[in-house]
Amino acid sequence: MIGDDRRARLIGAMAEARLDMLLVYGNAWQCDYLRYATDFGIIEGQALALVRNDGHITLYLDSPLEVDRAELDCPTAEVIHATDLIAEVDAVLDRLRNYRIGAAPQRLLPRRIAARAKVLNISDQTTFVDRLLMDKMESEVAAIRRAATIADEGYRVFMNAARSGRPDYELIAESEAFFRANGVDDNFQIIGVGGVEVRGMTPPSGKRLKRGDLVTTELTPCVDGYYAQICRTLVVGEPSAEQRSAHALFRESMEAGIAVVRDGIVAADIARAENDVFRKHGLGEYTTNKYTRVRGHGMGLFADSKPHLLEDVTTRIDAGMTLIVHPNTYHPAVGYLVLGDAVIVTRDGCEVLTKTPRELFSVPG
Amino acid sequence: MRRGLMEWNPQELPLEVLDARIARLRVRMKSAGLGAFIIYTNLVRPSAVTYLTGFTPYWSEGLLLVPMTGRLAFATALSNRVADWIRSTNPVSDVISTPRPGVLLGERLAKDDSVKRVGILELDALPAELSDDLAAAAPTIRWLDGSAQFAMVRRDIDPAEQQILMRSDAIAVAALDQVNTATTSDAGTLAGLIERHARLAGAEEAYIAVAPNLAADRRLTRVSKPIQLADRFAVRASIAYKGAWLRRTRTFARDHRVARADAWFEGVIRGIEAGKPISGQLAAYVEALSDATLEFWMVESCIGSYPLSVIASSRMSGRDAPIEDGFFVLTIGLLLHGGHWIGTRPLTLNNRSS
Repeated sequence: MIGDDRRARLIGAMAEARLDMLLVYGNAWQCDYLRYATDFGIIEGQALALVRNDGHITLYLDSPLEVDRAELDCPTAEVIHATDLIAEVDAVLDRLRNYRIGAAPQRLLPRRIAARAKVLNISDQTTFVDRLLMDKMESEVAAIRRAATIADEGYRVFMNAARSGRPDYELIAESEAFFRANGVDDNFQIIGVGGVEVRGMTPPSGKRLKRGDLVTTELTPCVDGYYAQICRTLVVGEPSAEQRSAHALFRESMEAGIAVVRDGIVAADIARAENDVFRKHGLGEYTTNKYTRVRGHGMGLFADSKPHLLEDVTTRIDAGMTLIVHPNTYHPAVGYLVLGDAVIVTRDGCEVLTKTPRELFSVPG
Repeated sequence: MRRGLMEWNPQELPLEVLDARIARLRVRMKSAGLGAFIIYTNLVRPSAVTYLTGFTPYWSEGLLLVPMTGRLAFATALSNRVADWIRSTNPVSDVISTPRPGVLLGERLAKDDSVKRVGILELDALPAELSDDLAAAAPTIRWLDGSAQFAMVRRDIDPAEQQILMRSDAIAVAALDQVNTATTSDAGTLAGLIERHARLAGAEEAYIAVAPNLAADRRLTRVSKPIQLADRFAVRASIAYKGAWLRRTRTFARDHRVARADAWFEGVIRGIEAGKPISGQLAAYVEALSDATLEFWMVESCIGSYPLSVIASSRMSGRDAPIEDGFFVLTIGLLLHGGHWIGTRPLTLNNRSS
């Protein structure tokens, strides 16, 4: 079981770090630290969990609905309904002052607890957990493979739903229904519809597809807690010559990025390879943060995991890491365009997980 | 993350409604001696910022600064490329993209000599980094918990919110109407069907939970895999439309006792009165339903940053306190011959009558 694998690894790492306990915080947005430690995928409310170095887990939840779910999903954890979550956990921590307690992610810890960290003998161990999140075990990679397979299938559902006149949110409704019926608990997905006026992707806003529109999406289904992403662009009707040319540039960039992925490089190497293609074509400006956020990122228990692929990020890339390489940005001739594939880093290169053809797709206009 | 329809429609949520809500908060701020008010938001705790601005973050987080006068300022870690989208759904704030919202708003407050005390909604729960940044950037300001002031502002529901809640409810009802006990046997497919219907109808979010066998277990859980549905099962649809959340839970079965309980629950919703303890009222109603035992009840409402918070329940202390006027979501669990029965419905209490 993947949860058992994680727990064993976490307990081993805690022993090495000489930690008696780990305090983790989680909510449906920043869910990865909590999921790693407890195997609970929280939806509503907030959670704090205490993991002891003997493997005992106490999960404190403020939503009674989530308590029911946690009891079913995490039968080995001690689940406590804490109506006043922060005060109740603060009181528990007060009684544990003689223990060495690590916490993650420090920046999201509730103020009341973080402000007393020194008194409570709590140290920031975010980096410690980040390393565990980035370096995947076999069972974790297997879950990401399953998520990547269903990302390909989900994109087909999305593409089949796209046609002129349909509002953007209906495309997402169709892919969500497919996901719910096929083992996907959650999905990170944003969308862009239009032409040169579109500067990025957002949640759907009711925009109706029309002939000539680029429809971009970043689709990130979650299987057993693990997210895998695919980015593709389609055109309503036949693509124009400019759209084809722009897409070819993005494909060249993504493939240049994927080509340098291997054990031992740093995140910046991948971003630089992608951006060099834009610079070669005189479009280097569009690789800056005015037009784009990142050139890819990690994948795992969080849809937008570390490391971020940027030219100033020096995180070492190790075999076993899972990444999305996506040169998504604005193109001055056609608007915002996306293309990205999920990969697993290997000793000599990488294995591409998503199999959807790297085409500029076309749907009936 | 939120991935359903997210847009501001001025017909549904007129600017003057938002202005009136902000004005109500400012009255409370003034009476509490607060020079400004700060509200944290993320997709789990969006509701206070949504109430004042119309905006819900689909991802990431932000801080809303409500000064005593002038425009609101929304500082967010969401990237600059989505700032235009944020502005399109948040007509009352200046929008600033910054990796450190706490630093930005702290510096702004520090420059204003008139601000000495600032209220923060749910102060204890503010994330540590934002709290540290605010305190470091504005070291002389006194930060106070403003949750009680905000809860008073939220006590009354304006007609715009009522209309949006009715739309959420209509989506939930129509989505649950998709369930056909004669043809549905798999919980995963059922969850997908209900969610699809809700999202096609414009839901901003839909959380579908299922208790697949009420003869064995009343707990509802997220389902996305094939699970056989028993003769009696329950489905909960938690639906958001334009930031307004509510839930409906319905028990489905082939035996007539469930239909009888459904009708009974309708009567309960019509009959519950404000100003009286809900526990006593429910006990009296259950006596009228033969073969039934009240297992639990829960009342939820939107009073702070959570879309719905439990304000009273059979598991909480102080459960005998009366419920006052307002909009609530009532969940009741019964032990009914042959297994459990669960129902959730919206409950509006107004002038001591529902």
